[in-house]
Amino acid sequence: MKQQYISIRHLSKKFNKDFVLKDINAVLNSNEILGFLGPSGAGKTTTIKILTGQLKPTSGNAEILGIECDKINERIYEQIGIVTDSSGVYERMNLYDNLKYFARILNVPSENIDLLLKRIGLYEHRKKMAGKLSKGQRQRLILARAILHRPKVLFLDEPTNGLDPSASNEIHKLLMELKNEGMAIFLTTHNMEEAAKLCDNVALLNDGVIVEYGSPQAICLKHNQIKKYRVRLTDGTTHLLLQNEKTTGQIAQWMNSGQLETIHSCEPTLETVFLDTTGRNLQ
Amino acid sequence: MKITAIHFRKLSAVTEMKMRTLMSKNFIIMPIFSLGFTFLMKILYRSIADGKINMDGYALSLGVLMNISMSVYCTAAALAEEKEKNTLRTLMTSSVNGLEFFLGSIIPVIILSTAVNVLCVFIVQLTLSGSQWGAYLIITTVCTFIASVVGMIFGIYAKTQVSASTITTPALIIFMMVPMLSGFSSILEKISNLLFTGIALNAISAISAGKAPIHLSGIIVLSVEAFLSAALFLILYRKNGFEK
Repeated sequence: MKQQYISIRHLSKKFNKDFVLKDINAVLNSNEILGFLGPSGAGKTTTIKILTGQLKPTSGNAEILGIECDKINERIYEQIGIVTDSSGVYERMNLYDNLKYFARILNVPSENIDLLLKRIGLYEHRKKMAGKLSKGQRQRLILARAILHRPKVLFLDEPTNGLDPSASNEIHKLLMELKNEGMAIFLTTHNMEEAAKLCDNVALLNDGVIVEYGSPQAICLKHNQIKKYRVRLTDGTTHLLLQNEKTTGQIAQWMNSGQLETIHSCEPTLETVFLDTTGRNLQ
Repeated sequence: MKITAIHFRKLSAVTEMKMRTLMSKNFIIMPIFSLGFTFLMKILYRSIADGKINMDGYALSLGVLMNISMSVYCTAAALAEEKEKNTLRTLMTSSVNGLEFFLGSIIPVIILSTAVNVLCVFIVQLTLSGSQWGAYLIITTVCTFIASVVGMIFGIYAKTQVSASTITTPALIIFMMVPMLSGFSSILEKISNLLFTGIALNAISAISAGKAPIHLSGIIVLSVEAFLSAALFLILYRKNGFEK
């Protein structure tokens, strides 16, 4: 039975005269990953800051674990984990001591630290100074700190930004494990592949407005109106053809003459949906 | 800062971390400098006095003055470092409340400063009675508390350790130089008598001379400055949090 951990209703945020979030609505349940997808400045980080009590909304409301976000107290912080681009580590301490410090604060038995370090693949580096970690290791340490107390809700603001594919995959694997263990994950990213791979639901955010909301598959299907084939011939040329009777005949002709090398249907991706909807790229 | 419960577990963790910060190379130089300054002043004043008068008390008061003033910088820079390294927000969203962080920040500074103040007495080889030790420790601790709270106020506005150094420098000059030069000008003397560092300087000189360490006016000045600094910090914290 899934439990609703976050509900956002008609949330708006204005800085000076400019709206950075306009009337957004979303829900996040346990065992789910909700992705907020959008380019820089779309309002993703502002949403996380409001949900974690670091900013107050201008209007509307949001609840996290049954508490309104502008009334978040330390008890809620004991049940959530936050990874943002402004999450820091104590560089003069080694990995183990960094986690031990937060384990004391969050009342986590220190035996759990080694288990966690093994789980995120940093156990052999536990005596390494945090200031000497690679970017991927540092990000995993920050993630480890955020999940140390097994929070119900995990906020991740661009967790794989700037990481190589291998390090990103490790984090993706861990996030799927955490989700399957019951954690609700609120993820912001501008990486559409990451969102499509991980998220149960995504909100495509542009200039503070959610332009599409739903599962990645449902959003892509909804926008799969102009169906196309991508055909590659043996002479190396590629053709993008609309799916109709005329092109079907043409394709049959290429097949019969042995000129057809590959053929693919072209479904929209979250990136193309975003581009079609907003006229903007996600990067 | 709301009146919230203090969890000893969190307070001790923050205090330990801050003590670790103060022992790092960026900060440990300050108490070492105060001890060295006290030693230097002792040598210098013994040389000047040439055994005719005992100026050990004055050497001690200058060393303690420097140590108390450095507490302003240490507290401000330690808070600024947390902001610079992005650990403050991490900490505040990990269930540590403002009061726990505030106390955890000033307690190590007070402990370290008190330890240095005690060592300074041994450096100048001053012999104090039990009551003199009591008065000395109470007055210097109250002054360090005020200096630490003033440091936290500067820390709210300092984004980096460099900016902490820059914005605390004028205050350090006032807190140190006005009492040190108060003997040369009646105006400076009047101002010094209104500063916690001036009260500390006078009290230590009086203790070393075997006189009453502090008068009612001094007690009032320390009480008012302790209250005002705490109130000002509270107002600014409520407005800005620990980050302006």
